[in-house]
Amino acid sequence: MLSRIADSLFWTARYMDRAENTARLLDVTYHTLLEEARQAYHLRWDAVIRITGDQFFFRTMYDDANPRNVIEFYLFREDNPNSIASCVARVRENARTIRDRLSRELWENINGTYHRVREMQQSAEVRERLHLYCAEMIAASHAFNGIVDSTLAHDDGWHFLQMGRSLERAQHTARVVDVEYHRLLEGATDPGSTDPLVWRAVLMSVAAFEMYRRAYPSGIDAERVAELLILNRLLPRSIRFNFAWLQLSLRAISGTGPQSYANEAERLTGKVLDALVYDRIEDIFARGLHNFLSDVERNSRQINDGIARSYFHYAAGAA
Amino acid sequence: LQPPKGIYTHISGIDLVRNSATGKYHVLEDNLRTPSGVSYVLENRAVMMRTFPAAFQNSEVLPVGQYPLELARILRSLLRRKNAVVVVLTPGVYNSAYFEHSFLAQQMGVELVEGKDLVVNEDVVYMKTIRGLTRVDVIYRRIDDEFLDPLAFRSDSVLGVPGLIGAYRAGNVALANAIGNGIADDKAMYAYVPEIIRYYLQQDPILPNVETFICARDAELSYVLDHLDRLVVKAVGESGGYGMLMGPMATSTQIEEFRKRLRAAPRNYIAQPLVPLSVCPSYDVASSRMEPRHVDLRPYCLFDGENVVTVPGGLTRVALQPGSMVVNSSQGGGSKDTWVLRGDN
Repeated sequence: MLSRIADSLFWTARYMDRAENTARLLDVTYHTLLEEARQAYHLRWDAVIRITGDQFFFRTMYDDANPRNVIEFYLFREDNPNSIASCVARVRENARTIRDRLSRELWENINGTYHRVREMQQSAEVRERLHLYCAEMIAASHAFNGIVDSTLAHDDGWHFLQMGRSLERAQHTARVVDVEYHRLLEGATDPGSTDPLVWRAVLMSVAAFEMYRRAYPSGIDAERVAELLILNRLLPRSIRFNFAWLQLSLRAISGTGPQSYANEAERLTGKVLDALVYDRIEDIFARGLHNFLSDVERNSRQINDGIARSYFHYAAGAA
Repeated sequence: LQPPKGIYTHISGIDLVRNSATGKYHVLEDNLRTPSGVSYVLENRAVMMRTFPAAFQNSEVLPVGQYPLELARILRSLLRRKNAVVVVLTPGVYNSAYFEHSFLAQQMGVELVEGKDLVVNEDVVYMKTIRGLTRVDVIYRRIDDEFLDPLAFRSDSVLGVPGLIGAYRAGNVALANAIGNGIADDKAMYAYVPEIIRYYLQQDPILPNVETFICARDAELSYVLDHLDRLVVKAVGESGGYGMLMGPMATSTQIEEFRKRLRAAPRNYIAQPLVPLSVCPSYDVASSRMEPRHVDLRPYCLFDGENVVTVPGGLTRVALQPGSMVVNSSQGGGSKDTWVLRGDN
């Protein structure tokens, strides 16, 4: 497989998942606030901006994190590289350069999503229909993943798609937990932080609410939420689940067996995964949740670079 | 420099027109460099069969879908290496024919590469893969000669592969079509093709050319200058409907502009009488009616060194504007599915 194609597949999956994550976040936040007048809206919207890491960038464009601004920032702005519009455009741009590698169904899904997002962008009532917009985006991403699984050969290219998706999800979930816990610690200034409804919203934003209810029937508790989102073996958006997939795909490509690694990306993935498998949530809290999540985040960035170095880039004169 | 197996033109797409006044077919232009449009032949057919299946049922339409298979077979046979690796070389996603490059690569089951995916080491071409370098044997290139290799041709080309022509000269890689074919697409050369056929093949051309005035000749130039409002003037090195004057439809300003250009550089131009192109019924979106529109026909031929395979079909290009005779897709033309029916022979 050409390096350029592997690179494009990896980022196609990353951007698609980023668009879905943003849609989930906006949808849940907006609708939680509709029936929740008690707490100041800007604290919730502020959390959204911190989760995507756009605090600084957002402030260069807007004074106030009100729903109108945040929705515009995340839905439409093409100068925001993390907006759904930008992500979907980049998914399509990446896919277009590797169109011969994709199944016809996959290209039609990507192209259709791009055009639907643009169409909905033009409709004035999108704010009233935010849910429809987000639901459409989420469904498109689900369709993308389904079509990837059922129409592509599960070869190297498929594993690069899995790697892009897993890494994006792991990083997103890590940031969600990190930001929400930070708010919990600042509890005095944010009366909503211990509210079970807030944690319910957090769970819903990573599609984990129903699973939480089954795993912990007693009630919603911040520490259990962290345990589920970080360490659960079966939740498709937990950090552990995604690192396990990342390792599986990395090893499928390099042919590495257990207890070893073929490159820096594999070494770091194995290291993080070991902690996720063998540490308990009490251990993590004892050492500091924020430190742990920052490590995950830093390692994820290095894994991303390691994958690029091992598979995508050729140093000049490498031939 | 000898191309592998001595083949220069693996793929040709020669433009034919039918004169609606006489009913006779003529060769309008030769395309021996990188004729495009064959993906439309295949896609038009697929869409037509899905949309109007009943029309096909009793017609015995000859299939066109074998084209990518034939093309792949011919390309693979160019180098005598076991499991020869074939790639399609594209300028990239911003090229207007990118869809076709990607479509053909997919249909042939080969890699679609850009110049930056290839690297030449000691006169061998490799592509950069996730498992290192893989040797490339045959390149179906959709990049013009002058951009192929910055070391051999235009040094500012970022689309090409440094060293590619060296590898070609060493016989380590085959290019389809060969470099230098552009000389056959030169519209002044076209005027000599019937003579070339008579001299080298001792045969008469099956299809006549359109009468052509070569402006490099003084007598013909002065005839052309006197009849600009009745002639079509074409720049010899252009294609895609660029650099053209359609005399009968042109404004006097346009005609004067071309008069200046002709005087300044007569060698760059030829002129032809306007052939009244035949028409086909076409759906006109504005009026929601079927209307006559002018068409031409580009059949595709493949050559493997021994036999010429002609796809039974071809690209019928249609000028969508009423009365227009410019059918190029770059000028807003459309295309039609084209049937060849199984006859008694």
